[in-house]
Amino acid sequence: MARAMWKGELQLGKHQVAVKLYSAVEDKSIHFHMLHAKDRAPVEQHIVRKDTGKDVAKEDVRKAFAVDKGTAVILQPDELEKLVPPESRDIRICRFVPPSVLGDQWFERPYYLGPDGNEENYFALAEALERKKVIGIARWVMRKKRYLGALSALNGYLTIATLRRADQVLSFSGVEPAKTASPSANELKLAEQLVSSIEGDFEPELWQNEYRQRLCKLIEAKARGEKLERPKPRKKAAQANLAESLRASIAAAKEKKVA
Amino acid sequence: MPSRKQNRAKNGGSEAELESAAAPVRSLWSGTITFGLVSIPVDLLTAVRPRQTAMKLVDTSGHALGRQYHCSKEGKKLNNDDLVRGYETDDGKMVVITDEEFESVAPEMSADIELRSFVPLEQIPPLYFQKPYFLAPAGKSAKAYHLLAATMERTGRVAIGSFVMRGHEYLVAIVSDNGVLRADTLRYADEVRTPESIGLPKKAKVAASKVSQLTKAIDELTHKELDISELEDREAEALKELVEAKQKERDDVIHPRGLEEEEPESSGGAQIIDLMEVLRKSLSKNAVVRTAQDSGPPISLAERRAQKAAAQTSTGKKKATPKRKSKAKAKAKSKTSRKRARGA
Repeated sequence: MARAMWKGELQLGKHQVAVKLYSAVEDKSIHFHMLHAKDRAPVEQHIVRKDTGKDVAKEDVRKAFAVDKGTAVILQPDELEKLVPPESRDIRICRFVPPSVLGDQWFERPYYLGPDGNEENYFALAEALERKKVIGIARWVMRKKRYLGALSALNGYLTIATLRRADQVLSFSGVEPAKTASPSANELKLAEQLVSSIEGDFEPELWQNEYRQRLCKLIEAKARGEKLERPKPRKKAAQANLAESLRASIAAAKEKKVA
Repeated sequence: MPSRKQNRAKNGGSEAELESAAAPVRSLWSGTITFGLVSIPVDLLTAVRPRQTAMKLVDTSGHALGRQYHCSKEGKKLNNDDLVRGYETDDGKMVVITDEEFESVAPEMSADIELRSFVPLEQIPPLYFQKPYFLAPAGKSAKAYHLLAATMERTGRVAIGSFVMRGHEYLVAIVSDNGVLRADTLRYADEVRTPESIGLPKKAKVAASKVSQLTKAIDELTHKELDISELEDREAEALKELVEAKQKERDDVIHPRGLEEEEPESSGGAQIIDLMEVLRKSLSKNAVVRTAQDSGPPISLAERRAQKAAAQTSTGKKKATPKRKSKAKAKAKSKTSRKRARGA
């Protein structure tokens, strides 16, 4: 059972729903220590002056905001302290929108919300959100930082995912292939056939982190003093012309389906 | 790493620069998307700008600071070449894994993104999305690239595949976003928790009146569109205000050397390139890149598809900028930035 990271209160209009916040992700990556190659001693990180290379004591380190290439402004600790937003338990819902208006590039880190006390309120909100098929744009302050997020319902529970800020997300327009790079109608048709021969549902359980598994095996073998055989690289198929490659791919995909 | 990299240092002044000021990005990986027997060489570029709250470290008199590794035993300074990564086993043994070993774990996965399944985008829960990257066609792959993008837009499907970059395997959804391919990294199923694994209570009985009260409250706050001002970076705004005030007072303003040399942590020494420039060269000469903040409310893929015709006639017309000059400048500067990338 996971421990709640934080407690807050969703504020939508006159209504309040008390919630606990849990991380929705679990760190599964393999962590390494940085070592000195020669003696395998762990390394230490020092803060140094770039021009002289000399160590600088922690209490003499300041933060500076770069205005342009050659100019920066030092921000003193007390000034930064003043920028810390006032503490609050409120998760303010600014508005609800259809989920399609937020592309997936906005989503950063997901959390599950659980009920804090009144379970009926919590599950009623999840049900209402599912019924209306909308997500809420939320703002709150947690651990001295401002957060921006999207509140949504998933299988009867509430989730809130932090969102990137508007000046971080990039978008495109005006992309149009040059005449020489425009696929022909025939190529488009063949490509659609190929897609339909390898289409399916999103089944995340089917995807294993193969690299992580092989790395684990390598570490275990080395810990035992064994050597692992290196896997051989796959051979790459030569690229014929586009339409021919598509036709051959469709044939191969069909064969796979039959077998 | 393959040398199929384009490099263009940031240069100020020209109109083209103003337009693309939003887009200095980094090429992080070069490889091939394989789709059946079709292969599309691509460069992977960051699709997210860092937050504008990033700050540099200086000392009390304004000298630029950096981080330096030292050996904890000998106490002496270490370069990147002196470092190895070690894994500590449960019984306290330190197993060193060399760079060659990291690479040899899955050499084929470091070069290819094999598209193994095409799935409806809406089937992927937002919990899975991690970080978006742009894919730019490399070499002469523009046609196959456009073909894949067009096919995904026509079928409403995205492709799932995986690849290895810098010692990590990434599961990705390849998404066509307005004609540009994006690789959105996804979490693996074992990295995503469930209500059961967290231990959330089973669903409680809910009075219908309670739900309808909340439904009403939701209706009152529901809009069709986003309000971009609600998605802005308030922390960055507060920070900038303070900085501007201090600058006016000439308080704590410094001109340190070497500030710009520090690469953000995420870049790992990759080169700064200009996304719009790269895409105009490799994909479409009228491509325009903007931040969501500059381009008004973002619209969904489905809506974009519908608006595509309109968008194509209304954008990118004014961009017949004299690029020659800026390119020459960029070339001169690119040498220094290449050096920097190697040193990092």
